[in-house]
Amino acid sequence: MVTVELYGLPRLRAGAERCELAPGRLRELLAALAAALPGLVPDILRDGGLSEHALLAVDGRDLLSDPEAQVPDGAVLVLISAQAGG
Amino acid sequence: MMDRVFGNFGQILRVDLDGDRVRAERQPLPESVYRECIGGVGLGAWLLLRFAPAGVDPLAPAAPILYVFSPLLATPLTTTAKFALVCKSPLTGRICDGLSSSRFALAAKRLGVDAVVIRGALGQLSTLHLDEDPLRCRVVPCPELAGLSAAAVSDMFQRTGVASHVSAIGPAGEALVRYATVSNDGRHAGRGGAGAVLGAKKIKAITVRGEAVAGVADPAAVRARARDLAARSQGVSTDKYRRLGTASNLETFDRLRILPSRNFQAAAIGSARAKRLAPAGLASAGEHTRAGCAGCTIGCDHRYGGQRLEYETQFALGPLCGVDDPARLLAAARACDELGLDTISAGGSLAFAMECCERGLLDWPLRFGDDLVPWLARIARRDGPGDLLAEGTRRAAEVIGGGSAAFACHVKGLELPGYEPRAMQTLALGLCVASRGADHNRSGAYQADLRPGVDRYHADPARAPALVIETEDHATLLDSLILCKFLRGAVPEPWREGAELLRMVTGLAYDEADLRRAVATIAGLRHAFNLREGWTLAEDQLPGRFHDEPVRDADAAVDAPPIDRASLAAQVLAYHRARGRGPDGEATDPS
Repeated sequence: MVTVELYGLPRLRAGAERCELAPGRLRELLAALAAALPGLVPDILRDGGLSEHALLAVDGRDLLSDPEAQVPDGAVLVLISAQAGG
Repeated sequence: MMDRVFGNFGQILRVDLDGDRVRAERQPLPESVYRECIGGVGLGAWLLLRFAPAGVDPLAPAAPILYVFSPLLATPLTTTAKFALVCKSPLTGRICDGLSSSRFALAAKRLGVDAVVIRGALGQLSTLHLDEDPLRCRVVPCPELAGLSAAAVSDMFQRTGVASHVSAIGPAGEALVRYATVSNDGRHAGRGGAGAVLGAKKIKAITVRGEAVAGVADPAAVRARARDLAARSQGVSTDKYRRLGTASNLETFDRLRILPSRNFQAAAIGSARAKRLAPAGLASAGEHTRAGCAGCTIGCDHRYGGQRLEYETQFALGPLCGVDDPARLLAAARACDELGLDTISAGGSLAFAMECCERGLLDWPLRFGDDLVPWLARIARRDGPGDLLAEGTRRAAEVIGGGSAAFACHVKGLELPGYEPRAMQTLALGLCVASRGADHNRSGAYQADLRPGVDRYHADPARAPALVIETEDHATLLDSLILCKFLRGAVPEPWREGAELLRMVTGLAYDEADLRRAVATIAGLRHAFNLREGWTLAEDQLPGRFHDEPVRDADAAVDAPPIDRASLAAQVLAYHRARGRGPDGEATDPS
């Protein structure tokens, strides 16, 4: 399974801290995430992808945006607000 | 003096203090200054370069401090109730240009000037009453206010009818702590020590009285844009600030392993500790309420038990000092506000001292995780060890020695904000080259590191300088107009919209190219000031820690390598080249 951890605005919108999804391409995962946590649509997830208000980082490191990227079993994705200012 | 131009008054107020006397007079400014520098920090840089004598001691009477307003201030446009406070920093010896918000800004603009330039010094602690009529400006000795917080002075003045809106310093400003703040309406111009500059002039508080109105050129257009901007400010792009506050950054940054802890010895504190200091944990230590600045439709001001807490304060007085108790963190934040201390520099100085104690370089009873409040009080009064910490990490390291400069986490003397530069290497460059030192408000390069396609662990030397300039220029535009940075997501085309706002407010024919030229001029003015005050390329660097030690996670495991020294130095050179400067960073046009 792939674990999606939610922080900041995504967590607020989803009302959840994490979600388990089947591995696959990123666009398939995001579609499954939208179905599992509909509160993420449209501000965080829109038109099958990430909106400009969110970022997705593999294990909190590299940002992922290619919808065709394969997300393997066991991966942890971190979904955060795009606004980082403090 | 310029013809009637709306939004500005075309003149400044010069205030000269001498003993118990004050002399105030208006001085016109040419229209070209407004075109070249806009207002806010831009106009402040222009004025500082002219009114500060070369090489002046920032705490000497001759050193000016400037309250600078902006064309958008006092219009119905959201988030514009701000002013810039500009001086030569006693912490860095370089330009210091802070912003502060709320009702004092609105009241001060009614003086009928675009800036107040204060020079000289008084003989005893006094209140400076500024008036629209320069002949009615006066000073009133107030030795009885010594040691009071800025908030207490403001409350007293309001209760007794002295003034509704006050800009004041706390005990730290009186004691000339080099990172003392100036406060108004519960907000603070924090970084760089402007509070010490007022303290050196023996000014405890400033009040303002006036009825002047700058007006706007196209009231209907401004009203319509104000409604539109207010509506946009309620959208998803500001939801994080409005609904969660910047304190929600902490848990996210811990997960991204960019949360500096224990004086930048680690970049995470672990999920359980992060949750304790996150908004939900803070709410367990004090009731959560929300407020906003005057004239702001975002309302980002989140409080816990009545104490306002932003991410930078939360990081600096929390993980940076090894504190993970939310009640202890909130108490330290409250102490800084009451004493008038910049939270980032106070936390940075204490974290540095904690590491010195840990390494045996100091024998003080101070350890990571300790209660900070007694130490903050010592700093604010320069009591015992607090006297050294009141000097900031750079000067403290020079006294302590023993290689401590390598982990004195500052640039140009200004303590680092709450982002791990080894894991955000575009930001690392931004911190090195920022005109007022290690700073996240004048360089928003952290935004560049959190973009898809940017490798934040290895800055691309070919791209990083341009990314830093882009974020610096964006910040300068907003800080000169002045618009709050938290509105930036709701203003996707800031150059176009900034020009539109200036056109409808001032009646002058600004376009996007004019604003880009103005912002380039402002960057040049800031650099020219620093260069004149002794800046060299050698200042544009991070301490050794960031080049010699890897990033460690919450379990002390290596998470990322250090920053390549040669690569960063090459990027600094490329940055200055891209700014049009010579091989040693010398200005080609000192304006």
